Amino acid sequence: MLKTLKGGIQACVQDFGRLGYRHLGVSQAGVLDPLAMQYANTLLHNKADSAVIEITVGLCQFAFLAETNFAITGANLGAKLNGQPLELNWRYSASAGDKLTFSSSKDGLRAYLAVQGGYHLEAVLNSHSTDIQARFGGMAGLPLKDGDTLNYTPHPPLPSVGAALPRYSQTLRVLAGPHSALSAGLFSQTWQVLPQSNRMGIRLESDKNLCHSHSIPSQAVMPGVIQLPPSGKPIILGNDCQTTGGYPIIAQVIDADLRHVSQLAAGHACSFELVTREEARVASELHAKHLAQLKIALNNNDKKYNE
Amino acid sequence: MTNNKTYILGERALVIEIAQSALTQQQQNKLFAMHTWMREQKVFIDIVPAKTTITGYLMHSQDPDFWLQQMQAAWDNIEPEEYQPTTHEIVTHYGGTYGPDLVDVARLLDLSQSQVVELHSSQSYQVKFLGFLPGFAYLGDLDKQIQLPRLESPRTHVPKGSVAIAEDLTAIYPSESPGGWRLIGFTDTVLFDHHLDTPSIFQPGDIVKFIPSKESIC
Repeated sequence: MLKTLKGGIQACVQDFGRLGYRHLGVSQAGVLDPLAMQYANTLLHNKADSAVIEITVGLCQFAFLAETNFAITGANLGAKLNGQPLELNWRYSASAGDKLTFSSSKDGLRAYLAVQGGYHLEAVLNSHSTDIQARFGGMAGLPLKDGDTLNYTPHPPLPSVGAALPRYSQTLRVLAGPHSALSAGLFSQTWQVLPQSNRMGIRLESDKNLCHSHSIPSQAVMPGVIQLPPSGKPIILGNDCQTTGGYPIIAQVIDADLRHVSQLAAGHACSFELVTREEARVASELHAKHLAQLKIALNNNDKKYNE
Repeated sequence: MTNNKTYILGERALVIEIAQSALTQQQQNKLFAMHTWMREQKVFIDIVPAKTTITGYLMHSQDPDFWLQQMQAAWDNIEPEEYQPTTHEIVTHYGGTYGPDLVDVARLLDLSQSQVVELHSSQSYQVKFLGFLPGFAYLGDLDKQIQLPRLESPRTHVPKGSVAIAEDLTAIYPSESPGGWRLIGFTDTVLFDHHLDTPSIFQPGDIVKFIPSKESIC
């Protein structure tokens, strides 16, 4: 069992998200950084869609009540096991009673905590993701609170092993959106992340906001869509966004760069670069290649240990 | 027959957009027939109709151009009649504490409360699309005589089950939430239950009728 000693700012159970229910108004939810989740699961030989805990900001504490192996990926939020600093993107083993603590970092925003075999949870609409707005999924639809416990099957220790996650960037590659006529000023300046940002959307502003007076009939939107409200302050939609939206869509962050959006905290800067659909496809393929290489290396490494 | 454009949004969302601010009933029914056709192709993980668009999310990003062509070809050939909607009757308590804005709505429209109830409940509505909250259905079109803008300042808590109007639409809040629509009634009908395989009783294209309860103002 993993016991939450301190919930911190926000720690919630997420997987790839809730798919197939958007037409009923159900948000996707799910991890903001799918690559970090896949790295954590791969390090532990878990299923690719095994749920993880997404930690925002940090300042949370957990106790392992049974032995297991675990991995923390994403940003370095100062994780320590019994006071000993942990390397990011490494697999560690924990004994019953071990305490895992997170501080915080000004450089990164989100980390992902996975245990071997995954957490035992009931799926809601085919997903373990917490839909914080709708209040279902994950742990009773809420972020983890002090005292919450998540069950897992105990596992004996595996040797420590690490992986190199590609670096995060504050330049986001985007495809042109259907209302890209309004996007001219998007690429020529740097944008600041506003404090009102959350899992629903990353709100931006700059010295020269892109004010306009256009409205569009509500249409389907998704994570990565960049909406431009009349205020001219773009919003990058996050995984908890509504299924439809009525603001012009000026661009769409490519799938491979959504992970960068997950690390944008209030006060950070970001900029945008226009790419082609082919470049987007190549970027996603590169992620798949990294993961495949990690799997091969791990299987070799862990086989040696078993012999 | 219809002005439409098709495009790829991001890497795998395919959009058909009808270039009008509102759809005729025939165009609306064509959009729902398109929903059925897209479901049958088994390549979309999500299909989302909206006000003047329908968007399909491909399961994988391979060949979005091919599927965009298929969608355009289907759109050119599809008949609006192919769609068979379900009809729902929603027993509604109008006015009083159940519909705290009914008095104001009647006053602003220069109608009696019972005239507003009569106009709201004497026609049937179609689920144009769902959004905002799980199970929140945009129902149209509201009679022109009872159309009003949203409240100037939204409520922080709208009770689950509230029957509300805004502009040319009416809706039922499936769960408690903030909201700026004018509340004219209330229903006990559960609209969304995340424990069910079919969690929403309303599907896009369904027909909805409001039936005033005996204790309603009418």
